[in-house]
Amino acid sequence: MANFEDTPQLNIVQQRLNDVREYSRIAGTGEIARRYFAMNAFDGVLTIIGVLMGNFVAGVRDAAIVINTGLATSIAMGISGLWGAYLTESAERERDLAELERSTLTDLKDTKIGRASRWAVVTVALVDGLAPFLAAVLVLLPLFFGNWFRSVELSYLLSLALSLGTLFGLGVFLGRISGRNILVYGARTLVAGLVSIGLRFLLGTAPG
Amino acid sequence: MGNLRRLVLDVLKPLEPSIVELSQVLADLDGVDGVNISIYEIDRRVENAKITIEGHNVRYPDVVRLIEQNGGAVHSIDEVAAGKVLIEDVVTAQD
Repeated sequence: MANFEDTPQLNIVQQRLNDVREYSRIAGTGEIARRYFAMNAFDGVLTIIGVLMGNFVAGVRDAAIVINTGLATSIAMGISGLWGAYLTESAERERDLAELERSTLTDLKDTKIGRASRWAVVTVALVDGLAPFLAAVLVLLPLFFGNWFRSVELSYLLSLALSLGTLFGLGVFLGRISGRNILVYGARTLVAGLVSIGLRFLLGTAPG
Repeated sequence: MGNLRRLVLDVLKPLEPSIVELSQVLADLDGVDGVNISIYEIDRRVENAKITIEGHNVRYPDVVRLIEQNGGAVHSIDEVAAGKVLIEDVVTAQD
């Protein structure tokens, strides 16, 4: 902090960063945000695997249709995450704060604890909304660049490969958090993707 | 008005922010030379702290405001010392 004493703007930025770190520590935001990130990015990728497989098995060979379906699904997942987490997290946080207020017999809304609690709600809601949306858009990328590849089948294949890669990456992320074997964790999440692809193939095409 | 040199407060505070952070922000106040916080009772969500602040010009309203901003509530003022020199509590025959 001493390095920034001569520059007021940087000092303010540094102060805000310190506040954010402190709010995050008080409200335990980091751990919850990590959990939501992994869980919802996982959801996002698996849902897009569903969209990809559905379109592929149904014989859709127009990348624009897959992109539109995938994007609509991603947006819905993002909104669902954002809204759902905001509502549940704010309800839980308000209850926690009220309980703490009963213990201290004071109004804590304008204290660091109250601010940390509101900060946690916004952060967790953003993570919960953005994680599935971004993960879904990421795995759809090969379809956006469909013109670069010779066939739409290749785009499908690359998207599925990217989905599996993202799932493995999420597993590695979880493995690093747990401090256990990252490859084992990566394999666990990868298997989920493979199972959903395999099951969709086994189901075959719906009649009609 | 004489300078406040020592303030001993009984404070009920949530477990977070911790006494490490609280002692540091209190020590940063103007006129404060040093802070000691000791916990004498701990509960599931809150703890009772004895906060001792010494300085050459401790400002009581600033101290209370900072404690409250950190979620604490001052239950009582257990000891104060003010003036040009710090006077310790004297043991008398009545004690």
